[in-house]
Amino acid sequence: MSGDIIEAIKENVIQGRVTRDDEGIEEDTIGQPGVTELVNEALASGVDVSDIINNGLTASMTVVGQKFENEEYYIPDMLASAEAVGVAMEILKPHLAKSGVKPRGKILIATVKGDMHEIGKNIVSILLRGAGYNVIDLGNDVETQDIVKAVREEKPDFLGLSALLTSTMVNMEDTIKALKENGLRDKVKIIIGGAPVSQEYAERIGADGYGADGFHAVSMIETLNGGD
Amino acid sequence: MPALNNEIDIDKQRILNRIGYSDDYEPSARINSLVDDYIENYHDLIAPSYSYRIRNIESVDGNRIDIGNSLVLESRKLGSLLERCEMVAVFALTIGNYLEDLVAYLAENGLVLQATVLDAIGSGTAEKLAVQIEGKIRIIAGIAGMVASWRFSPGYCDWEVSQQELLFRALDGDTTGIKLTDSMLMIPRKSVSGIIGIGLPGNDIENYNPCNTCLKKDCPGRRR
Repeated sequence: MSGDIIEAIKENVIQGRVTRDDEGIEEDTIGQPGVTELVNEALASGVDVSDIINNGLTASMTVVGQKFENEEYYIPDMLASAEAVGVAMEILKPHLAKSGVKPRGKILIATVKGDMHEIGKNIVSILLRGAGYNVIDLGNDVETQDIVKAVREEKPDFLGLSALLTSTMVNMEDTIKALKENGLRDKVKIIIGGAPVSQEYAERIGADGYGADGFHAVSMIETLNGGD
Repeated sequence: MPALNNEIDIDKQRILNRIGYSDDYEPSARINSLVDDYIENYHDLIAPSYSYRIRNIESVDGNRIDIGNSLVLESRKLGSLLERCEMVAVFALTIGNYLEDLVAYLAENGLVLQATVLDAIGSGTAEKLAVQIEGKIRIIAGIAGMVASWRFSPGYCDWEVSQQELLFRALDGDTTGIKLTDSMLMIPRKSVSGIIGIGLPGNDIENYNPCNTCLKKDCPGRRR
């Protein structure tokens, strides 16, 4: 029974179905329980929360990541799945503490000063939440000193910086310098992303990593987080 | 500040391309119905308006284009177009802020798929409006026995985004509600600004494409 419902959760995440009213990748799925109904049912049946997360949600996103890499899935398909995981995590949130499940790490994420593009940042955020991280999104056009303040106060494990413009990506470097000046650089690992940046740029400005796309950013963080 | 009506029709395939699908890929039922639903309703979320001025070109010296009133555009590639032109149309347009406010709301509430689709529709709508303005300028040029070039925007090619401020000054204060941030980005974000060259036929103005001689083959803004 537990295995059946976990398998159903996994399949519906892969299909990107949040509720029974949603269509999936395959047709004629409307009316069948979606992730919301299935997760609630699993909780009511006493299925272990960590089992739902590890074997239902995280495992399904691994499949979605593979499909994305194989070009079977495109960005919207991946987002539909990540959204389903996000909804499931919201339902599970009140049960996390008593089940002993801890977030895998805290991540601050922001689009840097002067840049208001945030679709890419939002995609990375939702994928990280889906992977079980606690993500604090500072928004876009975030002043450097506000990022420094948030790092000081929130003490995140990771800081994700995004920029879409060559004219604003320089503010990533300024942010890293400001963190150094405030004695915070060594307290947080920094990942950068966005169309104009690259691995070479990440190395040049002293970031710890570069995410070429959403899944790459997640796997980069997984690696820096200890490779689990 | 003239306003256009809401009859801007966008092409579904272009929206699917914008959110990452190739032409030959059939999206899932869910994505299809989501895109259809937004395309059906996006007119209620846009308030398109535009502004333009047609100015004489005083002189062109390499990368410096003097369009009067101490306004000097700086771009070598624009210079090689505008040295063949008599006039330049300066324009700015926007679809307003309702759509992007909803995109922000959706994203904040974890509905990133919906936000991404709606954002793509917003970009597609602003692009379509820009095409309409190009058509309008082309008609005006035609009435004067002239032809019009493609449109060019600050931030592309060798035209610095910092020149946005100068371009807005060339609109004589009528920026159709668009404001510039310190980093020269436009608010509302779904806005387009730029110039269109106008000149006599026979000078290769209509199809002037700086991309043809550019070595940056992987440029995302490359025009064929």
